[in-house]
Amino acid sequence: MTDEPRSSGLDHPDDDPTTNGVGAPKTNGTDVPDFVAARDHVRDELVRFARALRRAGVDVPANAATTAARALVVVGFDDHERARTALRACLVTDRADRATFDDLFAEFWRRLTAGLDPGGPAERADDGPDGGFAPLDAAPAPGDPDRAGEENDDGTEDADRDRKRWDHGAVVGRGENAADDEEATTARYSPSGRRTAVSVPGFSEGGLDDPFRALTNALAELAGRRWGPGDDTPDVRRALRASVGTGGTVIDVPERERQRTAVRACLLVDVSRSVLDVLDRSFLVTFLRRATAEWRDVRVFFFDEDIREVTESFDARTSKGAIDALERAETEWGGGTRIGASLARLRTDSPEAVSRESAVFVLSDGLEMGDVDSLEREAARLSRRAGAVFWCNPLAASVEYEPTARGMAAALPYVDGLFAFSGPADLAEMAHQLDRRGQHGRIGYEYDPRRIGTDHHSATHPTS
Amino acid sequence: MTADRTAAFADATEADVRAAFDAENYVAGDEISTTVSLALQLGKPLLVEGEPGAGKTELAKVLAGGFDADLIRLQCYEGLTAESALYEWNYTKQLLTIQAAGGPGSGAADHGTGDEVGSDGSGGNDESTRASESVFAEEFLLERPLLRALRGDRARVLLIDEVDRADEAFEALLLEVLSDFQVSVPELGTVRAETPPVVVITSNRTRGLSDALKRRCLYLHVAPPSLEKERAILERKVPALDGAVAAELCGAAGRLREEPLLKPPGAAETIDWGRAIAALRRDGNGESLDRAEIEHTLGCLLKEVEDIERVDDDLLATLLDAADAARVEADP
Repeated sequence: MTDEPRSSGLDHPDDDPTTNGVGAPKTNGTDVPDFVAARDHVRDELVRFARALRRAGVDVPANAATTAARALVVVGFDDHERARTALRACLVTDRADRATFDDLFAEFWRRLTAGLDPGGPAERADDGPDGGFAPLDAAPAPGDPDRAGEENDDGTEDADRDRKRWDHGAVVGRGENAADDEEATTARYSPSGRRTAVSVPGFSEGGLDDPFRALTNALAELAGRRWGPGDDTPDVRRALRASVGTGGTVIDVPERERQRTAVRACLLVDVSRSVLDVLDRSFLVTFLRRATAEWRDVRVFFFDEDIREVTESFDARTSKGAIDALERAETEWGGGTRIGASLARLRTDSPEAVSRESAVFVLSDGLEMGDVDSLEREAARLSRRAGAVFWCNPLAASVEYEPTARGMAAALPYVDGLFAFSGPADLAEMAHQLDRRGQHGRIGYEYDPRRIGTDHHSATHPTS
Repeated sequence: MTADRTAAFADATEADVRAAFDAENYVAGDEISTTVSLALQLGKPLLVEGEPGAGKTELAKVLAGGFDADLIRLQCYEGLTAESALYEWNYTKQLLTIQAAGGPGSGAADHGTGDEVGSDGSGGNDESTRASESVFAEEFLLERPLLRALRGDRARVLLIDEVDRADEAFEALLLEVLSDFQVSVPELGTVRAETPPVVVITSNRTRGLSDALKRRCLYLHVAPPSLEKERAILERKVPALDGAVAAELCGAAGRLREEPLLKPPGAAETIDWGRAIAALRRDGNGESLDRAEIEHTLGCLLKEVEDIERVDDDLLATLLDAADAARVEADP
């Protein structure tokens, strides 16, 4: 490797490391390369590249551009592949982002090498921001002629996709542009946007904290590795440590046991129109994100006519990925719900998603458009394979609800509990029942005191 | 390896990394060697992700072996605490020391009469005070992997394996170690690494890692090996196996991975399988795999009863076809 381009920058006087290798291979023998300009150019392009990646949804660490610059100095500029590998190691932290990186890298490399070539006109930062690498504060409006011209090289489909990224992307610090109508609406998903703009009245993310914690505690069946007070085994270490204070005499022997802290779950979400019309989406998305973040090995599937795993969409810090996935599922699947067929697909394609240790949540109204027998068969199989199956039905929040829909009636014997699912209060109730009576006890919507309360005291259901 | 190898990881070029991989029979593509040499030169921890059995842990072992460095391994699990990762006091030894020091002193106090009390009693108290002060000293410290990695003076590779299994509290502890290569032990003070170890962190991606951790690392995704690469691995790792048979094994394993298995076999499983076949055919003959051979050694590849049940006659026939195809391709 010693004969590789790393050494190419050693023979010029400029001692700034970022100029190493820059321009040296590109000189035509007569011109003295402008190292300072080349260094600035590389720096600008790297910053643009990192910003473009972020805008495309890649989770680029804050200091990544600095690391990338150091990496470029090490690997040099001669070998396209090595530079790409090096930058990928610095800028990408998720395998799923590799494709996006490779897409945008081609453009970055073209700009970078064009700028380093003394013969060709360098596209410098002072040309004005344009194309896919415009800095954040100079985002072109959709339909910008300059931008459209450049994008057309790759086909209009790409241009459309990029515009979508713009529309959903984090648009911050817009200055006077913020007055633009179009951008005012797209700012809905912005991290700096007001939270109330997204939330439906009556629901705030904070309201989910206590019910969700209660639910986690009620469901936590798995022993974690952590020890806590208990009566399984004597805690010799604590006894000895305490004895230091009493001159080595062990006075009391505390006991300990493994704390049961972990929940393993599989969440199957019906995204048919009939469910989404009655269910508060922000509640749904928040619940799914909390579950994915806080429980162990959670798998999330959306189903309607078919089933699709969307777990990765919930990994991101913002709910944008989840909302996108939800919207995609909604537009792709128009028709009826085929719960039985979806469960069958889950069993054959992702058998590992459900195990004896996992709690399965089916979030659905149970309105089956497919074969009810198949639903019954699959529900039975699911209940045999899973630790517990809970059916969360947004319709059950109504006090008059009875599971008379054919699909729901068919699946009911195989679920451990059918619960209402329309807001934090329903989660709290579910957690309360699970905590008091266990996962296989007398639980479900029929034991909901709010419902019983209406029968006897004609109280109203708080969330209906 | 040679003495200059151990001198400094920071001077390691990509060619050195390749040579180290070669010496340790680790088959790596350009991406892996470039990224690893970059991590060495920039002095950054390397975060390695990939399917189980893709060779993540092996990468760290090979790095230690190839550069003649010590490998310090920390296996993560849920509930991993600072005591098991960083350091712990040797309570039993502390207790014995206190008792040994305090014993005669208290005895003298109990039985002491007249002038004995003045001299022996106070002397015993001094000893006991000294003992309790000194029980938080070096000799009572049990070094755990992280501290060991910071305090060594030879070249070291610190492997933090399956960091996604540990909880976020542990990740936070790692941050101090990874950014400054130092930790604070309240009783002893701050321990700083003279020469920072090379850090390799592996993750199976069962949960997302914190941004703070990712920010400190270079990222490398180890893809499952291609058919050719897997064959090269097998030939390096199981030299007793005939080349054509190795191709067959890789073909069959590759075909098996297309099935929706609970636990698809990784490259490590293929190596096990190769060793099993080589052990069964002691004479080293190069005949084609047969159905019975596959059936009897399936346990090397599949580790779930559901997966093994999935292999019926049809699938066996498909596997044999894939094996034949791979043999023809490798040796036309």
